[in-house]
Amino acid sequence: MPSLAARSDREGRSLLSRPQKATDAMLTSAHLYPAEGRAIVRTMKRVNVPGWLFVVTVTLLVETGVRAFDYEQKIATPSSTLRALYGALADGTLSGEIGFTLHAYLEGLALAILIGVTAGLLIGSSRTLLDASSVVIEFLRPIPAVALIPLAILFFGPFGIAAHRFVVVFAAVWPILINTIYGVRGGDRMLQDVARTAGVGRVGRLFHVTLPAALPSIATGIRVSATIALVVCVTAEFRTGAGGIGNYMEDQQFANKLPELYGAILLVSLLALAFNAGLRIVQRRTLFWSGEERSAR
Amino acid sequence: MKTSAARRIAGPALGVVVFVAVIGVWQLWAGAADSFVVPTASEVARRAWEVWPTSDFLSEVGQSMKRYAAGFAIAAAIGIALGLLVGASHAARRTLDPFLECLRAVPAIAIVPAAILILGLGDASRIAVIAFGLCFPILVNTAEGVRGIPLEVRDTASMLHVGRVERASRIYFPAALPSIMAGLRIAVSLGLVLVIVSEFVGERNGIGYYLILKQSEFDYPALYAGILFLGLLGYVLNRLFLLVEHRVLAWHYRAAGE
Repeated sequence: MPSLAARSDREGRSLLSRPQKATDAMLTSAHLYPAEGRAIVRTMKRVNVPGWLFVVTVTLLVETGVRAFDYEQKIATPSSTLRALYGALADGTLSGEIGFTLHAYLEGLALAILIGVTAGLLIGSSRTLLDASSVVIEFLRPIPAVALIPLAILFFGPFGIAAHRFVVVFAAVWPILINTIYGVRGGDRMLQDVARTAGVGRVGRLFHVTLPAALPSIATGIRVSATIALVVCVTAEFRTGAGGIGNYMEDQQFANKLPELYGAILLVSLLALAFNAGLRIVQRRTLFWSGEERSAR
Repeated sequence: MKTSAARRIAGPALGVVVFVAVIGVWQLWAGAADSFVVPTASEVARRAWEVWPTSDFLSEVGQSMKRYAAGFAIAAAIGIALGLLVGASHAARRTLDPFLECLRAVPAIAIVPAAILILGLGDASRIAVIAFGLCFPILVNTAEGVRGIPLEVRDTASMLHVGRVERASRIYFPAALPSIMAGLRIAVSLGLVLVIVSEFVGERNGIGYYLILKQSEFDYPALYAGILFLGLLGYVLNRLFLLVEHRVLAWHYRAAGE
């Protein structure tokens, strides 16, 4: 990574030097685990008993500490948080909010994937397009998506899903775009030449050579984006009055309902974990042929 | 086919031309649409020129940057220290991993209400939010850097009975520095996001609050100017950090043959 940055800087290429390719390190500590196992036995062995014991211990300490020092006005106890979350889920208060959040989130993410991968494939496979788009990308990319929330409210109004979707797309598109460009440019030139010699046309090469080679990189970009997008989506809901888990959180804060507030925090965190785990599984199942997975065998 | 020398000049030039063209299209389109939600590029530029040098605006930026710096420093200290621990000790890694993974999944905005309840509406809660969010990329990258240290180096250190503290400060830290810097670089950009998020509620100051204020005042050109400023600020901070990184890691690039 550093050597790549140094090299591209020397060439005066700024687009590829600064926007970092998203890596797993930005997302999870997946590398802390041993290589992917084959059998359930290995999965069982990998269950981290001391680690989860530590989580339980901390939770119990917080529970007793908050009760003992009578701090319940400021920190909800884990038990009351769980009870409040279970209650809100069971009586359906939260289902509408979850649906609202997921709607904006998934639509925005899908749009971002569509835009990011398409543009990334085009930009990555043409030096001219890369040059042409570099300044515009460098200009737009550093703008924090959350700073666009007030603007999105102006554009789309505070009560629709469109404002959230816009912010989600803006936040999610960059990791996907940059990773797609990296994936395309990092592809084996030999394969391209072989395909060309074999008479495969431009479009054929794009779908049968370029895209498959870039897929692992694209997948990582999507996973990074998926996490960012959920956070941005909830943040946008916090500012607008349309609904969603973020909106619910704001309501609970104003009503001073601590357990409900902490329950919503827990819910968002669980959603983030679930999406990340789900995408990891999809990536592992579909990209088993890629370098990383193969070297694990 | 152009030569690479021609490319080196033509490439960036093309980028600039396209950029100017995009601005031109914006100007013409906004002028034709005549919608008050979309000011023209020239109007935004004029407003930016008016707003940016004012002491009001700069004091908001100053407030934000103060908290940004404090949050960044705290996150770096905690992230690097915990990262060294988690990277160096297998037991610490196993014990802390699920806990840190759970904490890491908590979105920063979700921390805001809780931080305000515990730390009040002032700077402390905002700095806590920023530090919380920035901690994890630094931690993970530090741990990864330490894990990447060749086994021979670790074994040699333990054979020579190098003490824990000295091992961490004189072997693990320098060896993991390239990776640590990568984590800090992520934190530089992420920090701006967290600054804005932390200012959406609570006391009325900072650049994030400024954006909300301008939104509620329907001062669109100023809102655009504020967003533009954030983009430029992010760009400049990133560039500055790259300069620092190249200085700090000069030995590493030399060793890597660059």
